[in-house]
Amino acid sequence: MAIELTKDIAKKLIEIKGEVRGAVFEIDREYVLKEKGKEGLKKVEEELEKIGYPIKYREIKTFNYYPVGLRILSLLAIKSVFNFDDEKIKEMGSFGTKISIIVKFFIKYVFSPKKAFDAQTSRLWREHWTVGDLIPVELNEEKKYAILRLQNFSLHPIYCTYLKGYFPGPFQLMIKNSKMTCEETKCVFRGDEYHEYLIKWQ
Amino acid sequence: MAIEKKEEEKISILLEDLASLESYSRDLFVFLPLPVCLVSSIGIILEANPSFEKISGYKIDECIGTAIENIFEETEIERLAKETFKEGFIRSRETNIFTKDKRKVPVSISTVLRKSAEGEVIGYFIGLFDLTEIKFKENQLKQAQTALLNMLEDTEELRNRAEEEKNKTLAIITNFTDGLLVFDKEGKLSLINPQAEFFLDIKSEEVIGNPILKLSTFPTIEPIVRIVGKEMEEVFRKEVQIGKNWVLEVSTIPITIKEGGLGILIILHDVTREKTVERLKTEFVSLAAHQLRTPLAAIKWTLRMLLDGDLGQISKEQKEFLDKTYVSNERMINLINDLLDVARIEEGRYIYKQSLVDLGPIVQFVINSYKEEIERKKINFIFLKPKEKLPRIMVDVEKIRLALNNLFDNAIKYTPPEGKVIISLRSAKKAIEFSIKDTGVGIPKDQQERVFTKFFRAANVMRLETEGSGLGLFIVKNIIEAHQGRAWFKSEEGKGTTFYFTLPAKEEFSEFLKEF
Repeated sequence: MAIELTKDIAKKLIEIKGEVRGAVFEIDREYVLKEKGKEGLKKVEEELEKIGYPIKYREIKTFNYYPVGLRILSLLAIKSVFNFDDEKIKEMGSFGTKISIIVKFFIKYVFSPKKAFDAQTSRLWREHWTVGDLIPVELNEEKKYAILRLQNFSLHPIYCTYLKGYFPGPFQLMIKNSKMTCEETKCVFRGDEYHEYLIKWQ
Repeated sequence: MAIEKKEEEKISILLEDLASLESYSRDLFVFLPLPVCLVSSIGIILEANPSFEKISGYKIDECIGTAIENIFEETEIERLAKETFKEGFIRSRETNIFTKDKRKVPVSISTVLRKSAEGEVIGYFIGLFDLTEIKFKENQLKQAQTALLNMLEDTEELRNRAEEEKNKTLAIITNFTDGLLVFDKEGKLSLINPQAEFFLDIKSEEVIGNPILKLSTFPTIEPIVRIVGKEMEEVFRKEVQIGKNWVLEVSTIPITIKEGGLGILIILHDVTREKTVERLKTEFVSLAAHQLRTPLAAIKWTLRMLLDGDLGQISKEQKEFLDKTYVSNERMINLINDLLDVARIEEGRYIYKQSLVDLGPIVQFVINSYKEEIERKKINFIFLKPKEKLPRIMVDVEKIRLALNNLFDNAIKYTPPEGKVIISLRSAKKAIEFSIKDTGVGIPKDQQERVFTKFFRAANVMRLETEGSGLGLFIVKNIIEAHQGRAWFKSEEGKGTTFYFTLPAKEEFSEFLKEF
């Protein structure tokens, strides 16, 4: 069922402080183009224009900073226009890891999952966001799981879903396993102090 | 504030540079026509370009994060990775990738190791080159090569078969009891078998490759060349004496295949033995006939004297007996004469007194000698004389008269009383044609081909008339042919027979002189 993206919701989101790198909008752009083509992208841009916060996806600069609210508006507009369910949003997250240029910067560390996990997790987040902190809680290669904590970050529940697709991505580049799952074990929107994600593989 | 502004400007420039750099490297990677991917040290695809997407059939998000062995054959890529880690690279190795739809695509793979700034191995790049088209062409070439090899094998087999056939043919030619000379399209002798070498007392190496005209310089070949001519005309069983030892029958046969003539084959058939036997037989007949003729002549004259009363009066009854004896003796003398003629014909010493004459008076002379018989049998006799003057002919008059006698004899003898005999004499092409048509018994069809052979007498004739040696027509044919003429006949049993002969006409006096 399509969600109603109103101007009020948009206004509230835009007012949230913090910035995000243009790379995230590129993920949205490429995914829509892959799934729905140019016409689909045009519809998303029209939807955003309708609520008064237009995004010209092709003009987005990868490394420039944009309001964090705009990131959420982009996701909501896509979900609204194409009536995407949570699985599709997760798929977008997964897709994002694979095409993000910023993620590729960290590829050189994949020879050592532990090193990458400990040293690069927080930095990878900071490369994208000026708000929130991503903490590497635990990586247990033997038991095949990892725990990530995201704190000081409360934008919109849609992003929790998105991250469930996004977080297994870097692990897929480090650990040879095709079946990887991610569960949000803690969430600020459910009353927890922070978000916590459990990534597991077989 | 001014310092802050400057710093902001710097950051802005740096960001723009970064964006440009990102765009530049992305373009480089995206538009690269060769499939390229980056593989981590543990074998996970970390990056792939659109060309790699295209060749593998996997979308970019399907490629990235997947194990490299999902695309390559596992042991093969392990071996290649190991070598890359050891050597730092590999160049242009042939292998296969397996596409998303399980197709096997032949590729040439090159790798190069990727290290971090700290020198740690991060993974390796893979560059591919699609060999599908090349392999397809290679395959086509292989197929063409195989087809060619098969064709070569077939050709070799055919060549062997042809060789075998050639050997067989050569064996047949070599062991053939007739002498064979094969002349090629250019008229040069290309093959001579051992039998021909033997007959002609020559060695093949002396004659092979020579044209027939040059071969005529060999004394043993010259008589053959005289028969076949320099154009090697078609001849059939023409006799030739080679030296003192051989009598050969010469025949020529054009060698032809579908595409045309290949040359001429001359066959030399040895008839020496037959000729010797024939000669001995003729000599015997000649000797016997001569020996018989003298006593028969003596008997004849004695009988004549008895019949004429020179030796005293004889009774009527005695005369009747003596008449019959005289007729029988005459018949015997005629037979002996015929046999002597045949012997002379066969010895080739028959025609020896030729002169330039008109045929008309000769024919008339023979007609006159049969007048009584014609009248006795009341035969309707017609002589169709030529309207124009006939050219003269060069003949042995006595022999031509004998030939005419034999033909008249048959026509009158086998034509029933009141039958019809028509004689015709006319000018034919460079010849004179004579014909004698009767309404006699005719010759049975199944016996017609033996008419001109020795001692032939048709069955229906033998029933009518017991007399006759069966040598008359044989003599006619030989006399005519000895004059370079031709003799033939048309006959229908019960209706009659027409005999024809032609004799070559001589030109006027100048031509006559040439004969001398």
